[in-house]
Amino acid sequence: MSRKLVTLSIVLAMLLVMSFSLTIGAQEVTLKFLHRWTQEPDSTFFEEVVANYEEQNPNINIDMEVVSNDPFKEKIKIILGTENAPDVFFTWPGEFTNRFIRAGQVMDLTSYMEDGWGDTLIDSVVEPFRYEGKVYGAPYRLDAKVFVYNTKIFEEVGVEEPETFDEFLTVLEKIDNAGYIPIAFGNMFPWAVSHYMGQLNAYCVPYDVYMEDLDPAVGDFAHPGYLMALEKYEQLTPYFNASSNAIRHDEARISLFNGEAAMMYLEIIEIPTIEQQAPEEFRNNYDVFVMPKIEGAEGDQSALIGYPEGFVISANTEHPEEAVAFLKYLTGKEVGQKEAQDLLFVNGVKNVVSKGEIPDSVYNTTQLVLETERLVNWFDSSLHAEIWSVAGSELQKLTDGVATPEEVLEEIRAAAEDVRAQF
Amino acid sequence: MYKNKITPYLFIIPALVFIFIFVYIPIIENFYFSFFRMNSYAPGRTFLGLDNYKDIFQNDIFYTAIINNTWYAVISLIFQVGLGLVLAITLESKLLGKERKFFRTIYFLPSVIAIAAVGLMFYYIYNPNLGLLNAVISLFTENEFKYAWLGRPNTAIFAVIAMSQWQFTGYIMILLIVSIQKIPEELYEVAEIDGASSFQKAIYVTIPQIKQMILVTSVITVIGAFKLFTEIFVTTRGGPYDTTQVLGTFMYKTAFFYDKMGYAAAIAVIIFIITFTTSIIQIRLANRGGD
Repeated sequence: MSRKLVTLSIVLAMLLVMSFSLTIGAQEVTLKFLHRWTQEPDSTFFEEVVANYEEQNPNINIDMEVVSNDPFKEKIKIILGTENAPDVFFTWPGEFTNRFIRAGQVMDLTSYMEDGWGDTLIDSVVEPFRYEGKVYGAPYRLDAKVFVYNTKIFEEVGVEEPETFDEFLTVLEKIDNAGYIPIAFGNMFPWAVSHYMGQLNAYCVPYDVYMEDLDPAVGDFAHPGYLMALEKYEQLTPYFNASSNAIRHDEARISLFNGEAAMMYLEIIEIPTIEQQAPEEFRNNYDVFVMPKIEGAEGDQSALIGYPEGFVISANTEHPEEAVAFLKYLTGKEVGQKEAQDLLFVNGVKNVVSKGEIPDSVYNTTQLVLETERLVNWFDSSLHAEIWSVAGSELQKLTDGVATPEEVLEEIRAAAEDVRAQF
Repeated sequence: MYKNKITPYLFIIPALVFIFIFVYIPIIENFYFSFFRMNSYAPGRTFLGLDNYKDIFQNDIFYTAIINNTWYAVISLIFQVGLGLVLAITLESKLLGKERKFFRTIYFLPSVIAIAAVGLMFYYIYNPNLGLLNAVISLFTENEFKYAWLGRPNTAIFAVIAMSQWQFTGYIMILLIVSIQKIPEELYEVAEIDGASSFQKAIYVTIPQIKQMILVTSVITVIGAFKLFTEIFVTTRGGPYDTTQVLGTFMYKTAFFYDKMGYAAAIAVIIFIITFTTSIIQIRLANRGGD
């Protein structure tokens, strides 16, 4: 009899525990969150941000997954097509995201933005996340590309920050003759050359024409400005370090830090890396300038290459309201201030940091972005994947002097024609 | 032998089902997908007929890839099988005593290292500025030697192929050693009595006796050459400008970077046809040689 009683009480206890946990489970919402920062200090930053959110919202459980930069570009495509698609995930705005929008994979956030959220954010930094009039994402951090240069080398060689492209070529020649590597460049992954081309295209091609050409359904890259942009890039190639196609970007950066190279085209989000990792000799002796203007070119000479990075929500999320709330937090003031302190990155919130709260180099370059009327996207993220597949390869050939600007443009135009036929 | 005639089938069926679900069905599905334009994140697909195949045969990168795979096969046959055979015969000969175990281990060890780890190691060995290879060459040259082995189209693919020979020659050698050890000692004694030299023993006794294993290692080497992926992916990613693409990396890039899953499926079909045909040919050729 007592044995039966013991068994019965154990079973009852198990049922009680199960039903208890089931009710807790029913109230708890799990959001899947995917980002691309596997390394310190960003990885810890996200862990803390997520833990903080879970503490503030006990019924929300964030299931975070991290995949590093290049594998991320592949994984996101696969995972979006499955039931395991993340609710909130990282993205680069532009065609990289637009193709997911066209496939119905990204949630439209326009109504939420118009409901007050948009007022807290800087317009020019939200604009990149707009597609066909609707807003699909929110910015996580600003970015822009500038030439970071060694002021000591410039002083020694007797040159100053160039204003025009022709002045730039003269500066590079002098630095080359003095025995330094004029421009450090690591183009093993051709996103690096796409940053040059994005800026040069913006300088050489009228903005409206450029934007239309980036639309895969109609773009034909017929404007003569594209050839000019390629020719300008070709003029820079003799001043890169040797074997630039065989070296990774961060490897090339080493020669900038150790004083072998005079300058390098870097994103402002790399300035924290300079502050944290570069030798003191370099840290105390660097400054920046934007790509020098091209006289006689038809594009917008005030355009600056530098699209923000951000996060979007899956259109198939089972918890849209919770996902939006998490996204607002992720791209909001609280996280923005922590981001500025811990990582030296600035997000899209208005007045998120003031001068003095972060190192001047970061503050000043951020202002550069905020004062720019027009930001343009990286060339690789702007292009349809099939066009970029050809462009990236051709631009590497141009870098090595194995193809001419005319040949490169011809290949890009042919790829664009093939893609147009698909729409 | 079995009490019940069904019993042997009961043992085989689970494995057959497994292979059917995870091997044969995906192959058939892949063949089906090769006639469509599709990607991994968008629903729906567009029927293209044979357009994917037409595009592939007009794509220069496809031919570059086939040539690279073929180079890999030829060089691997010469080094992995050829040199592996020479090493195997030498290590099993009377020239070496206890040292043979040491050499066997030394030659075999690289093959147990993960390919990705070896790729990373050689990426740094071949690095133009920091690499070991250039540092050694610089000892003999006037100026610092800074050649980019993986960055120049002329040498990139051969640099990767060389890396594979370093890694797998020992593996093939061990397979051949195992076969050589099974050769009856009497055959060598008879050859000795007939006055054969060590070289003649190798040609007339050893090699004919291990003919089957030489065939097997040749087949796996050639099939491996056409299935190549990791070595290229970790070192050059198919660059510079697609000059080191092989069929595997070309397929991968098309599927996961350029959103062309159907096109990639067509490449996969072609890889399947090539490896299947090559194996059949090799086996037929060997059988014709007589048993």
